[in-house]
Amino acid sequence: MAVEIIVMVKQVPDSQEVVIDPVTMNLNRSMTRNVTNRADENALEAALSIKDKIGANVTVISMGPPQAETTMIECLARGADRAILVSDRFFGGADTYPTGLTLAATISKIGKYDIIIAGEESSDSSTGHVGPGVAEFLDIDQITYASNVDYEDGYVIGERELEDGTEVVKVPTPVLVTVLLNSNDPRRQTLRRKIDAIRKGFEVWNIEKVGLPPEWVGVRGSPTIVRRMRSIKEKERAGKKYDLTNLGELVKELYEKKVLKMEEE
Amino acid sequence: MAGIINATPVADPQQYKNVFVFLETREDKLLRPALEMIGVGKTIANKVNEKLYCIILGSDLKDMADEAVSYGCDVVLGAESPDLKTFRTMPYSHIVSNFVKSEKPNIFLIPATRNGRDLASRIAVSCQAGVTADCTEIDIETDTRILLANRPTYGESMLAEILCKRHRPQMATARPGIFPIPEKLKSPKGEIRINKVKIDKSLLKKEILEFRKKEAIDLTAAKVIVAGGMGLGKPEGFKMLGDLSNEIGGVIGATRPTADMGWITRDHQVGQTGQTVRPRFYLAAGISGKIQHIMGMKNSETILSINNDPQAEIFKYSDYVIVDDVYKVVPALLEEIRKYKKEHVGIAVENRESS
Ligand SMILES: Cc1cc2nc3c(=O)[nH]c(=O)nc-3n(C[C@H](O)[C@H](O)[C@H](O)COP(=O)(O)OP(=O)(O)OC[C@H]3O[C@@H](n4cnc5c(N)ncnc54)[C@H](O)[C@@H]3O)c2cc1C
Ligand SMILES: Nc1ncnc2c1ncn2[C@@H]1O[C@H](COP(=O)(O)O)[C@@H](O)[C@H]1O
Repeated sequence: MAVEIIVMVKQVPDSQEVVIDPVTMNLNRSMTRNVTNRADENALEAALSIKDKIGANVTVISMGPPQAETTMIECLARGADRAILVSDRFFGGADTYPTGLTLAATISKIGKYDIIIAGEESSDSSTGHVGPGVAEFLDIDQITYASNVDYEDGYVIGERELEDGTEVVKVPTPVLVTVLLNSNDPRRQTLRRKIDAIRKGFEVWNIEKVGLPPEWVGVRGSPTIVRRMRSIKEKERAGKKYDLTNLGELVKELYEKKVLKMEEE
Repeated sequence: MAGIINATPVADPQQYKNVFVFLETREDKLLRPALEMIGVGKTIANKVNEKLYCIILGSDLKDMADEAVSYGCDVVLGAESPDLKTFRTMPYSHIVSNFVKSEKPNIFLIPATRNGRDLASRIAVSCQAGVTADCTEIDIETDTRILLANRPTYGESMLAEILCKRHRPQMATARPGIFPIPEKLKSPKGEIRINKVKIDKSLLKKEILEFRKKEAIDLTAAKVIVAGGMGLGKPEGFKMLGDLSNEIGGVIGATRPTADMGWITRDHQVGQTGQTVRPRFYLAAGISGKIQHIMGMKNSETILSINNDPQAEIFKYSDYVIVDDVYKVVPALLEEIRKYKKEHVGIAVENRESS
């Protein structure tokens, strides 16, 4: 039986073009272009290269509003076999808890899965929490912050990049993997596949199909709320001016104020 | 462990008290972010007259537990087993969740390191808690004991204050390098509870085949940082900064585009997507002062910047400013420093001998 891979992708505002409404302090979504979260393109590529090697089935899932359809088509055109957009007004405003819950419930409904792949984080919420949350809901192991993801005989091997080194791990499936941004080179969409993708289409699942009560998801299912937003204004410093003619005085001051020391301990 | 569970049934906040922190370790040693957690955890606990509990997992906890107490931890909750020497998601999340479920903390803080984030989200799901990721400011409302978790958003331009009103514990991960390490106590007093545990085989399926340690530059521990930006104009600029940095016992820092250009390796990068630093002295050479860089170095005690544009943003965040070409200023500064040191080296030695 073919290995089943599920890839979780999110559509996000193009981070280079974020415009903030000065009054509401909210993201002005009408001004921003939406793109597929870049780390999720790396997640899909990791899945597709396993597919190249062993012939897996790759299903892409995304929870989001209807405009995420462009991301669905894009993933199919890159080589995914199936795409499911989980979309319902009840899912709106979710924090990481109900997002993980909704995606985990979707995956349970899909049924069989061996490997679930997500991005390390989304560029708009940048928590990195949704992947591990899904793994916990499904009670499966995980490999986070991975590069060089490989599959062999029922095991996933990945390299985890930590602050102080690289950990190489091997975990039996089922397992959830989150992959690093730029950890591979995502293949392009081909025109032929794009035409096929549009013809074939993707599925849209609503809340009944996912099988969760409305009060468990979206805003109502979210433990956290944003109370307020402030713009970050750093306090300004004195900015005492020196120039090439009086650097000696500056050096003296730095040493006398013990900003610099004769010997660093 | 969780299964598909609902977050809505909420706990009675009155049953939850004290502040818990998770202490990250390597090879049975506390990491720097662990000490930062003790600092911020203790500050919050003190504000509401509660205790600070530290959770430590490992294969030999004695020294780490003593160290945690010496930094201000009131109660150490430890789980000890040879299988816990290295972080692994399944056994760690299982044990930490059980601590949380039995001890019922009001607040639980975890460092926003890679392993910290790997763990935090699983605990939050398992315990049906709310969690705020990557906080740079953490406070508590004293009357309600509600955690005020602040995290940067929209490319660090905004700070979002996030609350978790009905769920307990209130969890947050804290960005490394932001919160200061507390002073050691003169006469520390703390209770140490270490349990030897046996881990179920089913939780130990992840095999760690290898750990390739990298000799990373730890900018977070540096007292002096000499950082360069695109104003250097070429990779050789970092060599010039290296000479200055060597003279004053510093470490090299860099902006993201200089690392993108390959002028310097990524582990020197300071900022939102690099390291957060708080040295005693930060010298910024040819750096414009974009917010993503500022976020990583604004807590430096003293900042000196060199930029040939009198309008450069970085000047607003600087204690000392030199408006000129880096290639003129840096060699001249180095010369003045050498001169000063030569004139004063005798005095420094005398001072040390007499003290
Ligand atoms: C999501 C995101 C994350 C980011 N994360 C980071 C991060 O972690 N760290 C980071 O640093 N950036 C980060 N950036 C990039 C950041 O926005 C800026 O682009 C970057 O900090 C600018 O680097 P710079 O100051 O070296 O270059 P520039 O902005 O090009 O500034 C060069 C400066 O050098 C001055 N100069 C030129 N020639 C000379 C000379 N001969 N002598 C003296 N001065 C001279 C110029 O006046 C100018 O002020 C991030 C951006 C994004 C969108
Ligand atoms: N709404 C969503 N739909 C599908 N996948 C998601 C969604 N939100 C987050 N993810 C996945 O979880 C990863 C981490 O996201 P985050 O926790 O938001 O930083 C992303 O890279 C995606 O792979």
